[in-house]
Amino acid sequence: MSKRLILEKVRKTYGSLVAVDDVDLDIEPGEFVCFLGPSGCGKTTLLRMITGFETLTSGNIVYDEKIINDVIPQKREFGIVFQSYALFPNMTVNENIAFGLKMRKMPQNLIDERVIEMLKLIGLIGWEGHYPSQLSGGQQQRVALARSLAIKPNILLLDEPLSALDAKIRVRLRSVIKKLQQDLGITLIYVTHDQEEALSLADRVVIMRDGQIRQVGSPWEIYKEPKTSFIAEFVGTSNFISGTKKDGKVKFEQLELTVSNLDDVEGEDVHLAVRPENVELVDVTISSEQCVSSNVFEVVVEVITFLGAVVRIAFVLEGETMIIDISEKDFGKMGLKRGGKIKIYFPPDAFHVYTELFKKLV
Amino acid sequence: MNKTYKEGSLIEKYQISPTRMEFDKFIVPTVTIFIGLLLCFFMLFPLWSILTMSFFKGGEFGLLNFTLENFQKYFTTAHSLNALWHSLYVSFATTVIVTIIIFFFAYAMTRTTISGKPFFRNIIMMPLVAPSIVQALALIYLFGRNGLITAHFLHTDWNIYGATGIIISEVLYCLPHAFVILYTTLSAVDIRLDEAAESLGATPFKVFTRITLPSAKYGILSSAALTFNLTITDFGNPVVIGGNYNVLATEIYAQVTNLYRFDLGATISIILLVPSLMAFMLNYYISRKTFSMISGAAKPVIPPSRPLKKISYTVYCWLVSFAIILIFATVILGSFVKIWPYDWSLTFQHYKFPSIGGYSAIWTSFWISLIVGIGGAFITLVAGYVMETRKPYFKQLIYLLSVMPAAIPGLVMGLGYILAFNKPYYIFYGTPWIVVICIIICNFTLGILASISNLRNIDPSIEEASISLGGDTIRTFFKIIFPLSRVAFFQNFVYFFMRSMTTISAVIFLVSATVHLAAIEIIMLDNDGWTASANAMCTCIIVLVLIMLGLLHIVQKKTGKRQAGLV
Repeated sequence: MSKRLILEKVRKTYGSLVAVDDVDLDIEPGEFVCFLGPSGCGKTTLLRMITGFETLTSGNIVYDEKIINDVIPQKREFGIVFQSYALFPNMTVNENIAFGLKMRKMPQNLIDERVIEMLKLIGLIGWEGHYPSQLSGGQQQRVALARSLAIKPNILLLDEPLSALDAKIRVRLRSVIKKLQQDLGITLIYVTHDQEEALSLADRVVIMRDGQIRQVGSPWEIYKEPKTSFIAEFVGTSNFISGTKKDGKVKFEQLELTVSNLDDVEGEDVHLAVRPENVELVDVTISSEQCVSSNVFEVVVEVITFLGAVVRIAFVLEGETMIIDISEKDFGKMGLKRGGKIKIYFPPDAFHVYTELFKKLV
Repeated sequence: MNKTYKEGSLIEKYQISPTRMEFDKFIVPTVTIFIGLLLCFFMLFPLWSILTMSFFKGGEFGLLNFTLENFQKYFTTAHSLNALWHSLYVSFATTVIVTIIIFFFAYAMTRTTISGKPFFRNIIMMPLVAPSIVQALALIYLFGRNGLITAHFLHTDWNIYGATGIIISEVLYCLPHAFVILYTTLSAVDIRLDEAAESLGATPFKVFTRITLPSAKYGILSSAALTFNLTITDFGNPVVIGGNYNVLATEIYAQVTNLYRFDLGATISIILLVPSLMAFMLNYYISRKTFSMISGAAKPVIPPSRPLKKISYTVYCWLVSFAIILIFATVILGSFVKIWPYDWSLTFQHYKFPSIGGYSAIWTSFWISLIVGIGGAFITLVAGYVMETRKPYFKQLIYLLSVMPAAIPGLVMGLGYILAFNKPYYIFYGTPWIVVICIIICNFTLGILASISNLRNIDPSIEEASISLGGDTIRTFFKIIFPLSRVAFFQNFVYFFMRSMTTISAVIFLVSATVHLAAIEIIMLDNDGWTASANAMCTCIIVLVLIMLGLLHIVQKKTGKRQAGLV
């Protein structure tokens, strides 16, 4: 059974570069936690410190109430799944799964039993005699999962396990991983830069940037209440409007927008984020009587992108390109074309108000 | 589902053995210290002995004993001073000639569409399988006082002994070494640059001088430096074909073997060490730049060459190949004809070796080479693994020590071994084991560089996967790293084997009344006038090395399919 894992002011520096900056985190037994962030944010370094492959510059990693900073990786009994699968190419599926058990001098008959059990778990019965090079990427990653689970690890750590796979298999393996974790009740830490993966899998998402934790919360919290403009952009998509506070409204170029929650914000300059699906179409998704008139604008359709269930429409407002998502049904009813006109509406409470704007990641 | 997993008490009984893990902590430091001590004791200590022998009276280290007498003597003796000028002259000439020949040869291999490239590539590598004496032996058979061409076809008194002979034989000896570097450089430089320039209207000559040559400049410098180093340190060819034309390497040998002047031998060694060290450092500095230029970009197809270009390059490559084939054909044929070039009837009589060593020397060389091969390949793989993946303390220092042997001429190393280890308490002195150690150390650099570059091809996650599953260093190495490196291991084995079978300079001081080596026998036989038997001995070495290379070829073909597992 997994025990509680606590990170206390964990810090890693390489010379003057701070890779992980005083991270505090408390992970409950059996929790599915995702470290999410752009590349270079320190999430992999943090994972590697938990595995024991990197040393800490300062701080503590506590597992089961014991500080494990100096415990060698072999003795941590943490299972690791790598992005490159890292199966042993010179061993069969069977030998790969049995490797950890052999290292523990388990009797052969018990090893055989355990390997069969693991093969059942990942649905690869019948493949035990194959070499990794004879398996598909998805199958290899399932073997890697089985190999790390065979030793009954205290915690399972996955480092971008699906990013080398193609989209369809990625989605299918996601559910395999989620189900395994729930069935086994094991603590699982999952590192990814794919926000969709993080939101669909995790109990808790940890957003990292520049070596720091920026927000911790359930996927729903992260999506609905992004704490910073960076998160609003990185998780999902947002339109940004930068303006100044004036008489309880936000002045944006020539426009004055009505915005809720403006009183909580200090300072003059504000940055508003609004999700594309929260922008309304007047007379289609909302009737004009319900609108605050200062937030209704007529704009010209610039680009139409068909995404399946939703259609993304780009328009320009006061020189800023923005997008609105409407359902494919509404789109079909309206018969919109490039260059056509639409009336859009920003509900005052759809805005997230920030005092700082992140540097755009290009 | 999976009750067994949750209850899994069975598994919890089996844990990683704590004693094994305690023991494991000492493995990496122990290996690091071992490699460090090995290189200090068998490389730095002999070098130190040479330094003390040349700079201190009686070779006794001490402030009061310091003297420059030996150097003064060297620089005031015209005969020995000449050796320095001779060496420099011969090496410069060889370097220029080899670089020009090989540049166009490598250009033909990488930038033209001539046919028969694999054949040419194999031929140009041929000189590696024979001791660096085969060229001199063949040239004497062809152009010597009784040479087939000089005396019998042209009836001239001119002969090849002296500087000309040394330069030609060194050129033919250095070709493969220079080729490897320039071939790599020219295949790495993007051929599309040439095409781009041509499409912008540059003439072929302009493309060549403005694009092709500058982009290969590091490769050219690097192969020149290597050629210079190989030539100035070579012993076999000049000792046979040099005649009265002495060079540094032969001068060291003469001082030590004929005059028993170890102090002067050591002094000349220091003088030889300076230019060869400079060439090595230049090469080391440049090769770093060369490799940073190599991109992983896909190689585009070479556009078909114009007919004239194709014909002239084909003729050119045939000429170069012919010269190399001629050398080997002469030596092999020479070992089978009764009296070259008078009586052409075939005979095996030259294979009844008249020297003390004879076949037992071949046998000794063979098993010494097997041990050198296995030991060298294993030790460089272990050292490479520990340094590359386990990043021990003092990694940089060990790395520096590991590349140093390439800078030290074999002859100097061998002399250092006599000076350092000729004491009764070094029980390995005078046994074959000192030969084994010396050859391994002399070729340590290339061995470890090959191991490291192979290990870099193995995904580091594989190593980490093993560790996270409880694998300790020893089991990770033997169960995973070693099996994944076995092709590279065998390549290294063959490299060490080949070097051991063909080296002359590293071992010439180490053979003794009880240890005879085939490569040295060649010199002895030639010295005593048994030239045909020297050729026969050469042929035996060539055959043995070719057999090993054939084995390597088979192993590589067989294991090729599994290589897919390597990243």
